[in-house]
Amino acid sequence: MFIVKYIKDVWGAIASLATGMKRTLYYFTHHKEIITQEYPDNRDSLVMAERFKGEVVMPHDEKNEHRCTGCTACELACPNGTIKVITKFDISPEGKKKKAIDKLVYHLELCTMCNLCVEACPSDAIKMAQTFEHSVYDRKQLTKILNHPGSKIMEGVE
Amino acid sequence: MMNGSTILFYLLAALTVSCGVLSISTRHIFRAAIYLLFSLIGVAGLYFWLAYEFIAAVQIVVYVGGIVVLIIFSIFLTQQAGEKLPRQRLDRKIWATLATFCGFALTLLQVWQHEFPPVIPQAPVTVRGIGEKMMSTEAGGYALPFEIISMLLLAAMVGCIVIALRSKPETK
Amino acid sequence: MWSLSHIANEIHTWLSNTFNPTWTQIIEMVLAGVAVIGLFAALGLVLVLMERRVAAWIQIRLGPNRVGPFGLLQSMADTLKLIVKEGLTPDGADKVMFNVAPFIAMIVAMLLMAPIAFAKDFQLWDLNIGVLFVTAISSIMVISILMAGWSSNNKYSLMGAMRSGAQIVSYELSAGLSIMTIVVLTGSLQVSDIIHSQANGWWIFKGHVPVWIAFITFIIAVTAETNRAPFDLAEAESELTAGFHTEYSGMKFALFFLAEYINVFIVCAIGATLFLGGWMPLHFGSGNAFNHAMDYIPSSIWFFGKTFLLIFLIMWFRWTFPRLRIDQLLNLEWKYLLPISMVNLLVTTAMAILGWHF
Repeated sequence: MFIVKYIKDVWGAIASLATGMKRTLYYFTHHKEIITQEYPDNRDSLVMAERFKGEVVMPHDEKNEHRCTGCTACELACPNGTIKVITKFDISPEGKKKKAIDKLVYHLELCTMCNLCVEACPSDAIKMAQTFEHSVYDRKQLTKILNHPGSKIMEGVE
Repeated sequence: MMNGSTILFYLLAALTVSCGVLSISTRHIFRAAIYLLFSLIGVAGLYFWLAYEFIAAVQIVVYVGGIVVLIIFSIFLTQQAGEKLPRQRLDRKIWATLATFCGFALTLLQVWQHEFPPVIPQAPVTVRGIGEKMMSTEAGGYALPFEIISMLLLAAMVGCIVIALRSKPETK
Repeated sequence: MWSLSHIANEIHTWLSNTFNPTWTQIIEMVLAGVAVIGLFAALGLVLVLMERRVAAWIQIRLGPNRVGPFGLLQSMADTLKLIVKEGLTPDGADKVMFNVAPFIAMIVAMLLMAPIAFAKDFQLWDLNIGVLFVTAISSIMVISILMAGWSSNNKYSLMGAMRSGAQIVSYELSAGLSIMTIVVLTGSLQVSDIIHSQANGWWIFKGHVPVWIAFITFIIAVTAETNRAPFDLAEAESELTAGFHTEYSGMKFALFFLAEYINVFIVCAIGATLFLGGWMPLHFGSGNAFNHAMDYIPSSIWFFGKTFLLIFLIMWFRWTFPRLRIDQLLNLEWKYLLPISMVNLLVTTAMAILGWHF
């Protein structure tokens, strides 16, 4: 019947609104569990979420060695041309030529932190860091070279 | 002798008249509506000045809240913002002025000829009094006009619904 | 006795002893004006801060906490910023209308302050149509929005204004009808009569179910009338930038912003007066110990307490519900609120005649 449906509609609407209001009242009265960070104040103790991605870095070990073979998989995977791999040829002690990276140029200002390069990398040479204080006065400073000067590829990484 | 009350009357009257003149002389149609609104508010102010608060409030509810908003809506739906209306033809202006002055003269004549009885100070008109008069069937009561007007409004509402009803698509 | 009416009487006696009646009248008018403007400024500062704090707490945030102790000076800083900002007038705008519109909003808000009883015997103008006056004057509010929207010469402004017009004109009906419920029970439109009729219990307790329904419709309708979320279609920042005040900046914007909060305060004050007894303390029956204990709390605290409770309710709505679509909004009014409040008014009338209320 029409009237019954009408009253049911109204009652259902009120009940669902009350559910929402109960939830927000709970949050209002339990305001101790704050989800936001007081960022500049707690800079020392700030813990970023594990899934947060700030920039692409290339980890080096203590002997200044990285794992990058210069295969350019990351450059191909990048959707907006953020990474540019400049390769060179090393001469190994046996006299054989071997491909290696000269510079891995990374344009932070173009990067969308999509993580595709990290997933494309066959040798786990690059990863996402959690730094986020990226503001600088000159745009040029955002173009970074990821391999450290004088670094070379780690033993056993092909 | 100008006391505060008289000054207030002339201020309200000036507002009403000047806004009325502006509303017909401006060439921006939206401004015309707004000047009309201020003119009507001036009339409501006069009712307040007379201490007929109920009539004043009804004036505002009906004219300002209802009719002027309706006018503004129709302007919104039909006119382009910032455009001026075309200048009126001279003969129209002359006839309109003439008609207005005839009406004005007629009213003035009536006002002059009418003998205003001196006002006996009464108790302020209360809403209860208005309501009782409105529903009274005795002499001086307004039950019949009230009912007739409500019939008229009902007819108007039925008419609105009929116009607004979507006509059924014709079967071919 | 430091009640507000006592202070007002002291000032009146002192003035009439010092000046002649005309000057007393003029000075009292100026004082009332200054008091209203002062109240506006204070309310603006408090309500903006309250809104931001309530919003923050509901969203599990902290809210403003940088400027001053606990962020109490935040709204002061915001006001300072708005004062020093340039008040732009767009080139294609209708300049007169554009600049007049915010003042209309403020004047309407000011007029609405007149019949509100802030404390026992403390009221600017206790006219015999008090509640009708509020309904009438608040219908001018829409004009300022329509003026602002049209004269900005901006399509978003115009759309916001049209939405707001449709919304305010429709929701006035159910707001008026739910006010009528209390008028029927009281038999008077005068604010002081309505408050005195609640000396032995507020209408929300005395009038049981029909008054509860009227209260709910009233709150929904006034939330819509003041253009607040979930009915903020006139502003709808995600669709219309800022609706009717897109082109406004600086102090002219601040006037609209302030008028919105003042209107929220006024409708909540009216709601508190009609349903929760205005400045009347919480009474049950007449003349028992509980009532006497309640009488010790000053009447102004009762009034502001109830009003701020309702303001909190409206803020709570804002930060809980998502915005309605325009067709949902009009459906809600014409298919639900209006029929319900009309039937409810009939039921209340029957109840008032048969004496089924307490």
